[in-house]
Amino acid sequence: MISLAFASMRARLFPIVLVILALTSSMALLLAVDRIKVATQNGFNQSLSGVDLVLGPRGSGIELMLYTVFHLGKPTNNITTETLKDIAQNPKIEWAVPIALGDSHRGYRVIATSSEYFERIKFAGDQSLQFTEGTAFQELKDVVIGSAVADALGYAVGTLMFVTHGSGSLGELHDDFAFQVTGVLAPTGTPTDQAIFVTLEGYELIHLGWSNGTQAISLKNIDVQKIPTERLYPQTITAAYLGLSSKLGLFQVARFINEYSEEAVSAIIPGVALTELWSIVGSVDSVFRLLNWLIIGISIIAMMTMTMTALESRTREMTILRALGATPLHLSSIILAEIVLISSFSVLLAVGLVRLLTWVSVDVLSEWAGIRIELIWITTHELFTLGVIVLAGLVASLIPAGMVYQRSLHRGFAS
Amino acid sequence: MILETQQLTYQYASGKTLCFPDIQLYAGEKILIVGPSGSGKSTCLNLLSGVLPSQEGTIVLNGQNYTTQTRQQLDQLRADHIGIIFQSLNLIPYLSGFENVALSLQFSQQRRANVSDINISINQLAEGLGLTSDILTKQPKAMSIGQQQRIAVIRAMLGKPALILADEPTSALDPVATEQFTTELIRSIDPAEQAVIVVSHNPALIPLFDRVVQIGAKV
Repeated sequence: MISLAFASMRARLFPIVLVILALTSSMALLLAVDRIKVATQNGFNQSLSGVDLVLGPRGSGIELMLYTVFHLGKPTNNITTETLKDIAQNPKIEWAVPIALGDSHRGYRVIATSSEYFERIKFAGDQSLQFTEGTAFQELKDVVIGSAVADALGYAVGTLMFVTHGSGSLGELHDDFAFQVTGVLAPTGTPTDQAIFVTLEGYELIHLGWSNGTQAISLKNIDVQKIPTERLYPQTITAAYLGLSSKLGLFQVARFINEYSEEAVSAIIPGVALTELWSIVGSVDSVFRLLNWLIIGISIIAMMTMTMTALESRTREMTILRALGATPLHLSSIILAEIVLISSFSVLLAVGLVRLLTWVSVDVLSEWAGIRIELIWITTHELFTLGVIVLAGLVASLIPAGMVYQRSLHRGFAS
Repeated sequence: MILETQQLTYQYASGKTLCFPDIQLYAGEKILIVGPSGSGKSTCLNLLSGVLPSQEGTIVLNGQNYTTQTRQQLDQLRADHIGIIFQSLNLIPYLSGFENVALSLQFSQQRRANVSDINISINQLAEGLGLTSDILTKQPKAMSIGQQQRIAVIRAMLGKPALILADEPTSALDPVATEQFTTELIRSIDPAEQAVIVVSHNPALIPLFDRVVQIGAKV
């Protein structure tokens, strides 16, 4: 039966190839979108690792997550370093890395932090930040840049740069103090690649003499080396990453911070906030999935239509087979076998195509979009999805198969 | 006896009823069924082959009564005991002559058992019908109508089914080819085990057959 179905399909090669192409491309699209979604979600959830809590001004947890992890939006309030010091004295807190945001450089967000940042902050689980070139901060003027910044701007160790006040392109340039690149980070596939890191002291320095967003005194006339370092430690910061000595104390410390009475601060658990944030962002994926399933549905209908329209021209073939003793069930099973062959071949092609596309684009996606797709043939979930598609094709083929069955039951040879 | 029919009638959905004369067919016999268009020749063939269920009367083939058989058993009976030749378009277009012939063994274990070597059996039958082996490798579109009809005969004969049913097998052939083809068809039968019924409206074929059965409509 299979060989007969195969021979019959070979005789109708052109329409069958078109149906296979339609099915293959729709299934490949579904698999590709699914893989990108999984990779994006993984990347999203692993944007910030190694941090147990993010401390920030009281307000929306998602907003705090957006500007501390994804470097998006504008921080509305700051917290005092006094408060950070006080909270950090909690015995359950092992370390605290402060960050101050607000400035930018040619569209890239500037993050002022301590050199501990590069030791404490992880990505993709427990991977540490690595330097492809240079080292972390040593001096006031030192700056570390993410891999995407280095690539886009062509910066390397030794490059001098000025920082713009504010995050917009219209901000005033801090042209009285030049920073110098001392380190370039290796790609991480996280927002870190798009960031520029300066020391908290350097950040405070370029804001000396600034009031209400405008510069009153220029640093050009000041010998910055004479300014005491403790004077340059900022009074306020935007947020701080906290690491606990034990995960067991997570909720206890979060409650302690949220109930802190001296200043309106709050703590968010990155994993929880990221999941909340993904539930908003991830809904777009549902629309894509719906569209993909619609395309697959249309392809299955096309396959069914092709089979049904071919039935008329195959009346003679069916009559001959009936004359040879084929039962109506035999004839129906030829139709079913054809659909199974078409669907299975399309599935194999789709899996191969997605594998090829993944192999071709894995580096580009990682560098360009920070999406790390796994180079695999097929996952259990994908296998299940493709199984559902083949099953749907089989169910759809019951209609033409049933037609063949009925015809061969009620029509004689002369019909 | 290979085939026996008694008081066979068939009523169409329109209400028109056909009555068929009784037939007794023995091994080696050749019967020609004649009748005008619309007389029910094809319906008779469908009934004898078991494709259409008989409504009244009995058909017994090789001792098996059609009325006691299920549809599936009738299909198997056809596969095992009947070889059918149509008037034209006998072959599946995407298969070679050889593959078309071999298809007759696909649904019958009994006919498969009767063939010890498929290549030898097919070539012997082809030789008997004046076909060279290279014709068997061709697809139907590369054959003449006469060659296609001969391939259909080989298919019907392979595995030695008891009854050969042919529905207007010469309608696409010229008079010379018609006589030659019918003679070859009759000659191919094993008179000890097989019999043939040919349905035709061509009176020129009458002298080639043992008996003629005339069928006509009765309202």
